Amino acid sequence: MTKIVVLGAGISGHTAASHLRRKLSKKHEVLVVSPNSNYQWIPSNIWVGIGRMNREDTVFPLEPLYKRKGIGFIQAKVVTFHPEGDSDEEMPFVMVEYTSGDKKGRQGKVTYDFLINATGPKLAFDMTEGLLPGTNKAYSVCTYDHAEHAWAGLKALIEKLKSSDERAKILIGTGHPKATCQGAAFEYILNVEKELVRYGVRNKVDITWLSNEYLLGDFGMDGMLLTYGKEVMKSSEMVEMVFTDRNIRWIAGAGITKVEEGKAHYENLAGEYKTEEFDFAMLIPAFSGHGFKAYDKGNKDITEKLFKGFMVVDADYTPRPYEEWTVQDWPETYQNPSYPNIFAPGIAFAPPHSISKPRKSKNGTDIFPSPPRTGMPSGITAKLVADNIIDSVKHGKISLHHKGSMGNMGAACIASAGYGAFQGNGISMTTFPIVPDYKKYSKTGGRDIQKTFGDIGLAGHWVKLSLHYAFLYKAKMKPFWWLIPE
Amino acid sequence: MTHLISKAEKAKMQNPFIQFFKFVWLNIKIIGIVGHGHGGTRK
Ligand SMILES: Cc1cc2nc3c(=O)[nH]c(=O)nc-3n(C[C@H](O)[C@H](O)[C@H](O)COP(=O)(O)OP(=O)(O)OC[C@H]3O[C@@H](n4cnc5c(N)ncnc54)[C@H](O)[C@@H]3O)c2cc1C
Repeated sequence: MTKIVVLGAGISGHTAASHLRRKLSKKHEVLVVSPNSNYQWIPSNIWVGIGRMNREDTVFPLEPLYKRKGIGFIQAKVVTFHPEGDSDEEMPFVMVEYTSGDKKGRQGKVTYDFLINATGPKLAFDMTEGLLPGTNKAYSVCTYDHAEHAWAGLKALIEKLKSSDERAKILIGTGHPKATCQGAAFEYILNVEKELVRYGVRNKVDITWLSNEYLLGDFGMDGMLLTYGKEVMKSSEMVEMVFTDRNIRWIAGAGITKVEEGKAHYENLAGEYKTEEFDFAMLIPAFSGHGFKAYDKGNKDITEKLFKGFMVVDADYTPRPYEEWTVQDWPETYQNPSYPNIFAPGIAFAPPHSISKPRKSKNGTDIFPSPPRTGMPSGITAKLVADNIIDSVKHGKISLHHKGSMGNMGAACIASAGYGAFQGNGISMTTFPIVPDYKKYSKTGGRDIQKTFGDIGLAGHWVKLSLHYAFLYKAKMKPFWWLIPE
Repeated sequence: MTHLISKAEKAKMQNPFIQFFKFVWLNIKIIGIVGHGHGGTRK
C-alpha cells in the first residue's frame, strides 16, 4: 500500500488528488490536507466582485465529495516538513495544524510515501504597508470572501453616486512592485467599467489602471505578439485599444509601496514618488511562499533544500542575466531534487526567474511582474505529477515519464470584459508557449504566431462562462469528468 | 498610434449570430492549442 498526501485543495491539489484516485486502486491511500473546507473556482471571483455571482456559485464543500470518492481529507494546514522523519517516526511526514473541529489548533504528524505540495501562494498583503482587503477603501478579489467585500464596497459607491452629483475615482491594478496576476486585475477593471455603465453612473467615475508592467498587456509573460483578425499586434497595443475604447486611464511601470485611506503611494521606473487618490480600489497583493520550514531526521534545519520562497523543483536556478535565460531553465517534472518523492505543481513551485524582463527604478527598486502560473498550467502540472506518481507506484520505482515545461505548453487566457448573456464581452487570448522561446521563435517575440492570438467579443464571455460550468463539473468529479481537459 | 475599435467592429463583437460561430471556432481553436503538445524542453 502506498500513501500519497496532497497539501492544498486548489486547482492543482484537487486535480492531482482526483486523477490519483481515479487511476490508483483503492488499496493505495490518497489523502488531502487543506485548511479550507471548500473547493473554490477562483477565476469566477471576478463576477462575485461585481455582484453578478454569489459565493455559492463558485464553491462546494470538499469533504462529502471526498468521502464518496474514497479520498481522505484532513482540514488542517501544513506547518513544517520532515522528509526524513524524526527520532520517533521512521516515515517522512508533515506536521499539520488542524483548522476546524475538536482538534482545532492542535498539531499532528501526517506520514506519506509521496507528497504533493500544492499549497499555492501566500497572499502577502503584509508586503505592502496599509494594504489589507476591506481597509483604506482598498479591496481584493483573490478569495471569495475578498470578492464579496469588494462587491459590498463597490455597491456602496454606486449607490452614493446614484443619489448625488459627486464624482468618484476607481483604481485597479497591482498592489506591490513585484505583484503578479495582472490578468485578474485586468478582468476586474473591465467588469467594473461595464457595471458602472449598467448602473448609469459611468460618466461620474474616473477609472485608472495602475500596474508594475513596463508596458500594458505584459501580464507577467513579457507581453506577446499576437494575431488579431488579419493583423499582427502586440498585446500592449491590444490592451491600449481596449482601455482607450472604455476611457480607462493607465499608469504603467509603477510599484505601490504604501496604501492609506483612499491613497496609493507608488514609485515609478523614472524614480518618481507619486500618489494616486481613489474612492474604491482593487489591488492584487504580492504572492509569496508560505514561509514553511523543513527539518532532517536529527531536527537540523534543511529549509533551503526544500524552499526558495516557494518549493525547489527541477528548475535551473543559476542566476543569469535576462539575455541568457532559456526555456530549459523551467521545470519539467516539478520534483524536488533532494527528495524524489516530493513534488510541487501549480503556483507552489519556485520559478527559476521571472518571465518579464526585470527592471529597476532609478532608485534601485525592482518594478516588474513576477511570473504568473494560471489555472491551466496549474492543472496540467498537477496532472502530470499525479501521472508520474501513479507510474512510480505501479512500477515500484520513481518514474518521470510525464513532462510539461511552461516553455513547451500553451495557455488560454479568457479575460472577462463584462457580464451578461448578450451584453457580455470577453477578451480571448492564447499563447504558445507560456514562457517565450526566443531561440525557436526568434522572429515572433518568442511565440508561435499561429497559436498566439487575440479576439474580442461576446463569444469570449460565453467561453468564460462555459469554462466556469465545465470546470466546476469536472471538480465535482461528475460522470466522465476526466474527459474535460485541464 | 493607438488602434481604435470602430463602431462596425463593435457591432460585430456584440452580434449574437456572428458570435455564436465565433464561440464554436474559439472552442476548437483553444482546445487545439492547449489540448496537446506539452512536454519537456531538455534533451
Ligand atoms: C481573482 C483571480 C482570477 C483568476 N482568473 C484566472 C483565469 O481566468 N484563468 C486562469 O487560468 N487562472 C486564473 N487565476 C489564477 C488561478 O486561480 C491560479 O493559477 C490557481 O488557483 C493556482 O492553483 P494552485 O492550486 O496552485 O493554488 P491555489 O488555487 O491558491 O490553491 C492552494 C491551496 O492550498 C491551500 N493551502 C494554503 N496554505 C496551506 C497550508 N499551509 N497547508 C495546506 N494547504 C494550504 C489553500 O487553501 C488552497 O486550497 C486567477 C486568480 C485570481 C486570484
